[in-house]
Amino acid sequence: MTGADSTSTATVELPRGTPQFLEPARSYPGALVVVEGIDGSGKSTQLYLLKRWLEIGGYRLHFTEWNSSPLVKSATRRGKQRRLLTPTTFSLLHAADFADRCERQILPLLHGGYLVLADRYVYTAFARDVARNCSPRWLRNLYRFAPIPDITFYFRAPLDVAVNRIMSGRPKLKYYEAGMDMNLSLDRAESFRIFQGRILAQYDEMIESDRFVVMDGTLPVNKLQKQMRQFVKSRIDLSRFAPKKMARRPR
Amino acid sequence: MKPSRSNRINGGPKQAPPPAGTTPRNYGLPLPGVNDEEFGGSLIVIEGMDGSGRSTQISLLTEWLESEGFAVQTMGLRRSGLVAKDIDALLAENTITRMTLTLMYATDFYDQLEHRIIPSLRSDFVVLADRYFYTLIARAAARGIQRDYLHGLYEMALRPDLTFWLNVRPEVAFEREFRKSHAISYWESGRDMSLSNDLFQSFIMYQAKIRKEFEALAERHGFLAMDGEASVATVNAELRKRIAAHLGIQRTHYRPSAALASLWR
Repeated sequence: MTGADSTSTATVELPRGTPQFLEPARSYPGALVVVEGIDGSGKSTQLYLLKRWLEIGGYRLHFTEWNSSPLVKSATRRGKQRRLLTPTTFSLLHAADFADRCERQILPLLHGGYLVLADRYVYTAFARDVARNCSPRWLRNLYRFAPIPDITFYFRAPLDVAVNRIMSGRPKLKYYEAGMDMNLSLDRAESFRIFQGRILAQYDEMIESDRFVVMDGTLPVNKLQKQMRQFVKSRIDLSRFAPKKMARRPR
Repeated sequence: MKPSRSNRINGGPKQAPPPAGTTPRNYGLPLPGVNDEEFGGSLIVIEGMDGSGRSTQISLLTEWLESEGFAVQTMGLRRSGLVAKDIDALLAENTITRMTLTLMYATDFYDQLEHRIIPSLRSDFVVLADRYFYTLIARAAARGIQRDYLHGLYEMALRPDLTFWLNVRPEVAFEREFRKSHAISYWESGRDMSLSNDLFQSFIMYQAKIRKEFEALAERHGFLAMDGEASVATVNAELRKRIAAHLGIQRTHYRPSAALASLWR
């Protein structure tokens, strides 16, 4: 019995390049660009500007956010309000939410040839849930169904810069957001700072293994956006997403 | 440059190998914040399809164990405080996809594990599980989700002390269920899988798939297979014999009280 069980553990860590799970091979014409980073790193602003640039250019795109599926919203809200969530159920609920978006939006759009922009992706779960002491191996397996992004921009800002941006604009931190479930500190702001520091360390760990494109979150917004657009153009053939020219109606 | 790669997330940063000397009570990983060597109690699982007599046996076993002086807690699918209602609502619509449903059931399972089973085991209860994650694996695998993915998902679950599998032929289960509720559940007949438009056919085909998954699980996890078509009293006597041996109960004689006498047929 132990023998059979240990094989299950071994097969969880599949080598790179092994075709697996829902999609046997990378077979879709779409492309996926994601932004990651701690709160206050500037990632959402930058993705918004990238989206505006592409929208104005008329490209076929879809924008998706972490934690936005109505399907599991009520469960997440209830769990948070009543503080019922453990690191494991917190992680699973977010994975269920992501699975819903992945199966109903992201994958069909990638197959339909869309450029999909995602504000946070599975790396958010990897960083945050490992900071909550979930097993990295378990998490990597949990999200195995997610397509790998074409580009993952990691907006990296020093902890103090990011935390100060958040604290100056939004002083009311929520219980789980501040990591209060981990008893890091009785002071919510201090707990938030420690938690964000742990998440930042987890993001840094993934830079190489997950091929993050590191962006300096302290640079001026417009300068950063210029870099981002250039990188997208160099990596993705945007003409694939250009508006299709309609055949001219014969006169 | 377009690096060659698989299109699914895996790997990640180099991870420390799992600690040597695996913990006996989980399937490879402890739950965050839980040391499962710290608590006692017994976890006894009864698996079997609807109509196999699971619930009847659990009612009888609960009464028997309580009469023997054991404190009993029960668990089952879709009974968590966290998401049971949400799963009910999701099942009522047909927009839910298989991965989402799989993960919602996993949430329901782990919520009960952490908030019900583990606290009960810490208090030295006997936990009787009316189905366990094995059913969840069988259902998801029957719908094409990879088995090793599913085993990885439940790697932090506790290993039961005993797992009984009540075997019945699908035809018999169908008849029993139909007699009881005059209907067969949409999900229990696998109608989301478009196997057949005929409800009976669909039920039989679906249960055959589930059975195949269970046969593999039975071998892997050492289930004790029992003839679920035998009389309630016969099955109950066999269950009591095994459980008594596990818990060190000397005398296994039992007759149901008046309240449960109707089950004893």
